[in-house]
Amino acid sequence: MTSQFLPLLPEITLAIGACVVLVVDLFVPAERRDTTYLLALAALVATLVATVVGQPDGVRILFGGSYIADPMSRLLKLAVIVLTFFVFVYSRPYLAGRGLYNGEFFALGLFGLLGMLIMISGYSMLTVYLGLELLSLCQYALVAFNRDSPRASEAAMKYFVLGAFASGMLLYGMSLIYGLTGSLEVIEIHNYLIRNGVDQIGALLGLIFIIVGLSFKLGAVPFHAWVPDVYEGAPTAVALYIASAPKVAAFALFMRMLAEGLGVLQADWQVMLAVLAVLSLVLGNVVAIAQTNLKRMLAYSTISHVGFILLGILAGTAQGYSAAMFYVIFYAMVTAGAFGMIILLSRRGLEAEQLEDFRGLNARSPWFALMMLFIMFSMAGVPPFAGFYAKLSVLRAVVQVDEIWLAIVAVVFSVVGAFYYLRVVKLMYFDEPVETGAFQEGGGLRAALSVNGLSMLALGLYPAALMSWCVAAVSW
Amino acid sequence: MSLALIVILPFLGAVLPALMIRSGRAACALSAAWVTILALGLLLTHVPAVLRGEVIQVGWEWIPALGLNVNFFLDGLGLLFAGLILGIGLLVMIYARFYLAKDDPMGNFYTYLLLFQGAMVGIVLSDNILLLLIFWELTSLTSFLLIGYWRHLPEGRQGARMALIVTGSGGLALIAGMLLLGNIVGSYDLTDILQHDPYEIHNSPLYVPALLLILIGCFTKSAQFPFHFWLPHAMAAPTPVSAYLHSATMVKAGVFLLARLWPVLSGPDIWFYLVATTGLVTMVVGAYIALFKDDLKGLLAFSTVSHLGMMTMLLGFATPMAAAVAVFHIINHATFKAALFMNAGIIDHETGTRDTKKLGGLLLLMPITATLAVIAGASMAGLPPLNGFLSKEMMLAEVNQTAWFGQGWLLPLVVTAGALLSVAYSFRYVVHVFFGPQRDDYPSKPHDPPAGLWLPPAFLVGLVVLIGLFPDAIAGDLVRATTAAVTQGGAPDVHLYLWHGFTPALLMSVIAVAGGALAIWRYERVRAWWYAGPHPEAKAMFDRVVAAAIASSKRLVLGLHNGSLQRYLALMISAALVLGFAGFFTATHGSGARPLLSASPVAAIIWLVLLAGCGMVIRYQRDRLLAVIGVGVVGLIVAAMFVYFSAPDLAMTQISVEVVTTILILLALYFLPKETPVESSPMRRRRDAVLAGLTGLGTGGLAWAVMTRDFTSLSSFYLENAHDLGGGDNVVNVILVDFRGFDTFGEIIVLGIAGLTIFALLHAMTRGELYRRLGAWQLDMTKSADRHPMLMVVITRVMLPLVLLVGVYIFLRGHNMPGGGFIAGLVVAIGLIMQYMASGYGWAAQRMTINYHAFIGGGVLIAAVTGIGAMIIGYPFLTGAFDYFSLPVIGKFEVASALGFDIGVFLTVVGGVMLALAHLSDLGRWVSHAPVNEQPMDTLPGAERRHGEGSE
Repeated sequence: MTSQFLPLLPEITLAIGACVVLVVDLFVPAERRDTTYLLALAALVATLVATVVGQPDGVRILFGGSYIADPMSRLLKLAVIVLTFFVFVYSRPYLAGRGLYNGEFFALGLFGLLGMLIMISGYSMLTVYLGLELLSLCQYALVAFNRDSPRASEAAMKYFVLGAFASGMLLYGMSLIYGLTGSLEVIEIHNYLIRNGVDQIGALLGLIFIIVGLSFKLGAVPFHAWVPDVYEGAPTAVALYIASAPKVAAFALFMRMLAEGLGVLQADWQVMLAVLAVLSLVLGNVVAIAQTNLKRMLAYSTISHVGFILLGILAGTAQGYSAAMFYVIFYAMVTAGAFGMIILLSRRGLEAEQLEDFRGLNARSPWFALMMLFIMFSMAGVPPFAGFYAKLSVLRAVVQVDEIWLAIVAVVFSVVGAFYYLRVVKLMYFDEPVETGAFQEGGGLRAALSVNGLSMLALGLYPAALMSWCVAAVSW
Repeated sequence: MSLALIVILPFLGAVLPALMIRSGRAACALSAAWVTILALGLLLTHVPAVLRGEVIQVGWEWIPALGLNVNFFLDGLGLLFAGLILGIGLLVMIYARFYLAKDDPMGNFYTYLLLFQGAMVGIVLSDNILLLLIFWELTSLTSFLLIGYWRHLPEGRQGARMALIVTGSGGLALIAGMLLLGNIVGSYDLTDILQHDPYEIHNSPLYVPALLLILIGCFTKSAQFPFHFWLPHAMAAPTPVSAYLHSATMVKAGVFLLARLWPVLSGPDIWFYLVATTGLVTMVVGAYIALFKDDLKGLLAFSTVSHLGMMTMLLGFATPMAAAVAVFHIINHATFKAALFMNAGIIDHETGTRDTKKLGGLLLLMPITATLAVIAGASMAGLPPLNGFLSKEMMLAEVNQTAWFGQGWLLPLVVTAGALLSVAYSFRYVVHVFFGPQRDDYPSKPHDPPAGLWLPPAFLVGLVVLIGLFPDAIAGDLVRATTAAVTQGGAPDVHLYLWHGFTPALLMSVIAVAGGALAIWRYERVRAWWYAGPHPEAKAMFDRVVAAAIASSKRLVLGLHNGSLQRYLALMISAALVLGFAGFFTATHGSGARPLLSASPVAAIIWLVLLAGCGMVIRYQRDRLLAVIGVGVVGLIVAAMFVYFSAPDLAMTQISVEVVTTILILLALYFLPKETPVESSPMRRRRDAVLAGLTGLGTGGLAWAVMTRDFTSLSSFYLENAHDLGGGDNVVNVILVDFRGFDTFGEIIVLGIAGLTIFALLHAMTRGELYRRLGAWQLDMTKSADRHPMLMVVITRVMLPLVLLVGVYIFLRGHNMPGGGFIAGLVVAIGLIMQYMASGYGWAAQRMTINYHAFIGGGVLIAAVTGIGAMIIGYPFLTGAFDYFSLPVIGKFEVASALGFDIGVFLTVVGGVMLALAHLSDLGRWVSHAPVNEQPMDTLPGAERRHGEGSE
């Protein structure tokens, strides 16, 4: 009994922590909101400890095949917890400066994180779906969090309608698979397909609709329409939350559903993912060029990064999976840093989300200009920053399965991508500042941003640290 | 080990200048110079071994998963380049000490320069191509910092960005090319690749894409046509940077890589035609543009482009001898071009301008500078007895032996033209700056610079002369070792000497020199001629490409992301449709083998009614009431279908849920206008109709295909075990309360929360701003005068006990017969809500002082307690237990623990539904202004009217 619950300890800890935050916040007066904030951070730390300490090694499948604890789940959980920690630290000054410093942000954030953990460890379609919806609902609410902003409401509305549609698609696909295999458990589905072959319309169509649903969550073209609108409309702190950790969890879904559950259908999903990846790479990079709003630009850059992640997955080899995993973790980190920079430059009355606001940053703060330089170079995939290894390992995996043209498309559009990332650097270093106001207050924000920026360099100089972990995580 | 140290030293040393700048400018420059001297010294210790033909290797594993190792190796080619990089680097550092102005941040400059130097050395010594790529991109980055060093110059910024974009993009292409190459060979180590059988590489299907990508990387870096345009714009950099990056080192990285991979890539025709042709075109185009550049550095920049083209062309010939000439020319070009750049810097520094039109007659004013310029310029023009002459003669000899598309005369002709132009611009540099009349309008008074500025170029000019006079003694061994490294063993016996005798090459040289001199003599005419012709400005073209990219990107945004949710949805659904149909037709999608059931006439009628209901909803969608009726019809038909398929439980649930939702919609309709306004254009409606139709077709087809095939059904398990394990005969109910009790438990919690949420939202509407707006709202429709119709009131009141009884009945029989807590809860809730609707909220609320919140909480608690009860006696949560009891009169009956659970379900359903619906009906009171039938048939005289009811 106890041993059954031990792998669940992170989820249990987090659920309790989130409830505590929610309840305690009711009794905390507005001027002492820091209590809630610190409690939320404490809940994250406790969850982190529960994830790292005392967890059994190896693969454990529990609760009748609906929950799995394996090296991959441990690594990804660690990543989303740490990322959420950074998100909270970045968000505090932003929220405090705009009268949005409410307990709901942290409570919803924590519940969303719980959803992510469940997505990562879910091993039956039902569990996975529950985690996904828990996360999605928190996200919808968070986007509309600033109720005085019509843009935020519009974004939330769009996100919700499109998200509900995508969830429906996902469920439709899952129900087809369930109807065919008679099981919801990933492992059973896998076994059934091995036993009975895959030449069945239910399997293929189920796969298609599952991919449609998952692609929406990841933000792959043509199911990406929500990404730019939500990034732009949502408060920056929320966009930061949505853009970072949930992508890691969505990646886990891809792995669980496609690689593990429907691995037998690899030939089919490879083709589909290739189409989605190419479209994402092309559209994301090409459209990003025209953006003058940094948040929108990051949205399209997200879409293009998703293309790369999909490339890694579709390689369908252990190398491809580990490359995609490295990529998605790197992506979430670098994106968090970019949004953190927007928060740093913003203050009451200035959202600092226009590219123009970054003009001459070097003259205002050489240190943070350098951090942004690290982040932008990382995104562009320039060595010796982390993004280079992320792109390199994905390309290598793709080349090794002889999908040369995919690699070439990826490279060509990385070149296009480099253009708009470097434009930011040019603005920061070579243009005169138009904005000279003070930065956002907050020592925590500055420290975290520095750590985030430097991690891009550190991960670039010593990528093996994370890479070997990713490799170990997919060596079934 | 010391090999790695040579690479690492500049990186480590890069912090020194930044620190030493506090101790003064001299200390800063010296610290950088010492780092370079140390690295150069380390390199020199390896010279004897390398000249003997040894290859020195050192390495460690870094990221084995990626095949990325930190391996370095040193052979002749590496030695040549490393020597050039460190040697010229040292000279540039000395030169820059005197060149930079007082207020230039010198610490940064030397730091960047050392970083750049480290990256360059890294490129030429890397043994791993991935490692090489890293250094390659690092040079792009550091050069970006160096080019943009003078921030106050806008051209500097533009130039820096363009240089970075072009070379950075080329670097990315190179990554892909290298990956392909590594994939062909199976290793990313250069030593492995160079040992690999070249024929195997040439015959690989990946050879052509790999070659193309690698060439893009090399050509962008070495500013080869058509990527040549970035180099002149990078000339906004301080002159020491130009001298270092754009003549001696960085731009040669592309040539270096061509030479490095020469043994494995050269050979096939495609190599010859791509590389040699590009080199040839670059050589001529670069020389042509250089001739008409007024900016001295612009002239030198295009001349560099031209010379790089020549080296590329020689490597493209793919003969060992041509490779040897290329190597020799690399040495020569580095010496005279770096000297000339420094020279141009001196002129700029002393006269304040680099514009040839403002210069002239400097010969006597700056004699030392002039002497150096004349010698270096003559070498660039290829005049004997200087080193430029030697390599040019050898190049011309090679050209004479090479046929291009089978035409032996073509290459010599074009190359002679290029050489002619080359002579012309070299003469121009010397003549237009130093000769001619002295002027009195120099921006500042010219005189020779301090020794620190002219000594470094003088050293290089010394080399120019010495190599020219004693080529074999000075450069022979180095060229032989390097050629051996380039050709990997196929090296010819190269001997360098000044006089080759009267050869065709000499004739070509003479023509070139004579023609060049003529062109300078009649320069004004040539220039007028040039003005008349087209001279496309590459930067404008680059800017236009960028602008076009942005414009097309904007069009794409407008098409796809115009912010319209409808369009997003249409796109998403279309994509899902395309995927779905593609999958459908890929799979075997024909009708399956399962026998079809025959449809009875009753069923056919049911379907027709269903279709009619759907059609009605679509037709009358704008008339809300009719639409709701249509939806109700559809719902009832679905219930009838369940009956037809012998699923009474589902039918009962469907009917009761249908009724509850219809009531909910009707209550909400009260607040909405009667008709929906038309918001979408006919076009959009047509589009949506097509999408909907296709979706329906697809789903229908899929359902048909799936359902006509055999499938394993889950139902048998439940049918067999419901009675034995769950103690009930109604399988559906047993599933709900026992087999999947946990799900149901979760569902009732959700239902309760939903009820509470609706309550909270509605409650918020009875206060504050919303309440005021609601109060001020005038209904724009006529209402029935009889607000609580008598007939309705009577019927609902008479029905109430009956409904409650039915509810209890349905609840009790639920475990074995169709029914159960969920349906019972809905039935009871309907009975109660009818009272609110028929008799008014005030009347009903007065009589039903039930706390629905408590219903929800109590229901969930009871269900939980039942579940925990199982845990207490040692079973998992919610394990069902049952037994049979007999009582007198009633007889034997069964009590299952599930009954308790079902009570919980019942209570929660009643609580949730009532909480939501009752308050929605309550809300109607706030907008009712007509006090009609306030208290219908109230038999309770003197009862207080509730607050807020009726008009205010």
